[in-house]
Amino acid sequence: MRAVVKNRIGVFNPQGFLDGSTAPQMMTLEDVQAAQALNVDILLVSLKKVVFFNKNGLNVFIQVLEKIHKDSGTVVGLCDYDDKKYAAILKFYNTDLNFSLFRTYKIASLFVSSTKESKESKGILVWHEDPSQRSAIAIELFDRGYNPVVCQSQTEFAEKKNQADLYEAVIYNTYLGLLGSKIATRVTGNAIIYSVGGFLDAEISSNFDLTYHVNSLGVGFTLFIFDAYKVISMNIHAVNFFSKLASSGAEYGANICIVGMTFEKTPENFKNELEDAGLLFFENMDDILNDKELLKELGGSGGGTNNNKRTLNKVLVNELPRFINATVNTMEMMTNAKAEKTDAKVNVLQIDSVEGKLASSIGFYGNLDGLVVLIFPLTIAKKACELLLGEETDEIEDILDTLAEFVNIIAGRVKALLGEQGISVDITLPRTYENVQDLLDTVAERKGVQVNLNFEKENFTFFLTR
Amino acid sequence: MVTQEEIQRYINSIPPSPTVLKETLKCLSEGELSKAATIAADDPALKLYLQNIVNKPIFGFKNDIKDIGQIFGVLGLAQAEQIIYNYMISLLSPKKWELFTLQEKGFHDIQDSLSITWKKILEHKEIKDKAIYSSITLLPASIIVCEALFKERKDEVTLLRSSKEIDYSTILKRLTKMDLFDLCHEIARAWEMPDMISRIVLASSGKSSEKDETIIELSKWMHLLFFHELSQPLSVEAGLNDFIEFNIEYVQDIYEDFADLIMEDV
Repeated sequence: MRAVVKNRIGVFNPQGFLDGSTAPQMMTLEDVQAAQALNVDILLVSLKKVVFFNKNGLNVFIQVLEKIHKDSGTVVGLCDYDDKKYAAILKFYNTDLNFSLFRTYKIASLFVSSTKESKESKGILVWHEDPSQRSAIAIELFDRGYNPVVCQSQTEFAEKKNQADLYEAVIYNTYLGLLGSKIATRVTGNAIIYSVGGFLDAEISSNFDLTYHVNSLGVGFTLFIFDAYKVISMNIHAVNFFSKLASSGAEYGANICIVGMTFEKTPENFKNELEDAGLLFFENMDDILNDKELLKELGGSGGGTNNNKRTLNKVLVNELPRFINATVNTMEMMTNAKAEKTDAKVNVLQIDSVEGKLASSIGFYGNLDGLVVLIFPLTIAKKACELLLGEETDEIEDILDTLAEFVNIIAGRVKALLGEQGISVDITLPRTYENVQDLLDTVAERKGVQVNLNFEKENFTFFLTR
Repeated sequence: MVTQEEIQRYINSIPPSPTVLKETLKCLSEGELSKAATIAADDPALKLYLQNIVNKPIFGFKNDIKDIGQIFGVLGLAQAEQIIYNYMISLLSPKKWELFTLQEKGFHDIQDSLSITWKKILEHKEIKDKAIYSSITLLPASIIVCEALFKERKDEVTLLRSSKEIDYSTILKRLTKMDLFDLCHEIARAWEMPDMISRIVLASSGKSSEKDETIIELSKWMHLLFFHELSQPLSVEAGLNDFIEFNIEYVQDIYEDFADLIMEDV
């Protein structure tokens, strides 16, 4: 059984009956190796469709998950269970609960880094009998840009739970086990915000999710803000880390800012050194986020000028047919319609009109690096989403979410095809654009290969660039 | 992916049921067990199938039974009919499985296990209707249909399922408006199986619009039984555990009874 991956969460979905004789068949050595290679933030076993389980059955999964956590630091656990199953899990692992429990997949998704901004302004209701768990959940949520509303008693929770509509999510029967030590991340507009705190030393290099950072650069983010209000001090190793991050991002035109850092216990010359490396310092987050001009200049408005001038190279052009075939095959699979190539050209991205269109993009890096951009007319986007959604929808959020999955499928296929040629690449998180102009601004001056395809008389655009 | 035209081609390709089987079933429906045995004995392949099946440990007979008349005698009308239908379904199974890691014997084992447990359930519920006994035989046809339609699209489906938890039957339904259970119904129709058989199997998908309370009740037992079977090591190893979607809410109210009856050893 292979894990389904979405938004950096891998989920195993066993069905039916899980006991000591069946569970080992569901989790073979190949499945474990595939899971280890996923590079996800959280790896879970969903109990949604498990009607029966005993400790022997569950143990097979738990042992695998714990090994993966030990090897990679990935957060592991169980999700999608009801009250009865939660009680059974606690009974089985009462004194030995090292993994996490998320009542639903949606709750688990609140604890991962995403390239999508949470537009929900409602709070998140939090309850756990253990005060330390309540605090841990609240802190993790806060660092990810959410607004946790923590209940202090069962009675208070019972009252507030009755008004669940007031909250984005209600968290209970959830337990944070051994969490990874990764730095929390959130997205605001087109800026990525990393929350750091305490004493910053050499450990920041291992706690910083470089893959996520590279992902974000790959899909066009250029403004990165370190929320450093809780930082007490930093040493030279942390300074080196920030300097290297700034120089590696320069190729992409990235701006790195540090906000809220006081230099009471940190040598002032560190600040000078970091400014020389290109980092920008601000006292308050609002100094950046509320200043539209500055935000635009730094690339955090979605309309900023992107300095990336990297050009297509021969290797990428050689592999172009694989990218196009993967896209066409996947489009045909999803729409059950035939595609016709109308024209192809090497140029900057040119679209007749951005009206009535949606876009998604995904980056790849490794032996080969670049960015795949897909621009869909709304009708084709909706049709392509029907297979994944199971119904027609006019909800733009749903369509964009599904387009993200769609571009992920294409990238997965390209990765597999390139792998057959001995070319190893990793793919970034997908990014979607409701406003195609934002995408055009992001890839503004980048030359690439543009292929226009016709699906049922609608024009669909594929663009490959670096 | 799969198109409606392909589905129609598949339905058109279902061969008519062989004359020997038709006549055997006709005799069984008229209660003529010995006449049915005589007709069945004329088909060497059917004879061998019956001998192999009945002498498996799962049927629990102490001594080998070779004579077809004896086989029909010990099975009785309902179970004999059930096995003939199982044989009919197995005629559709591929020589070589590609989508699922199955072999002929493995598929027969799944059929037999379902039949024996279904019998146990019906005895528990004191149901004697032959058509209801035989209804379980159509269920494994969903595995055969899935194999036939998706074996050349394994990579595409794997890719699709790597980013979305979506079963084969749902993929088919979304693409062609027909799911695996609808195709089982087409097989039942082509082979003139009693209406009750396909109604129970359709309802056992947990997604049908069946109104008959008795059929709904039986279909819940069948749904749970199927997933119990699909959770067994043989099925899991074959990749069958998640080929269709388990509807846990559908069976919630009968789960305790099922566990008491079927899972005594767990």
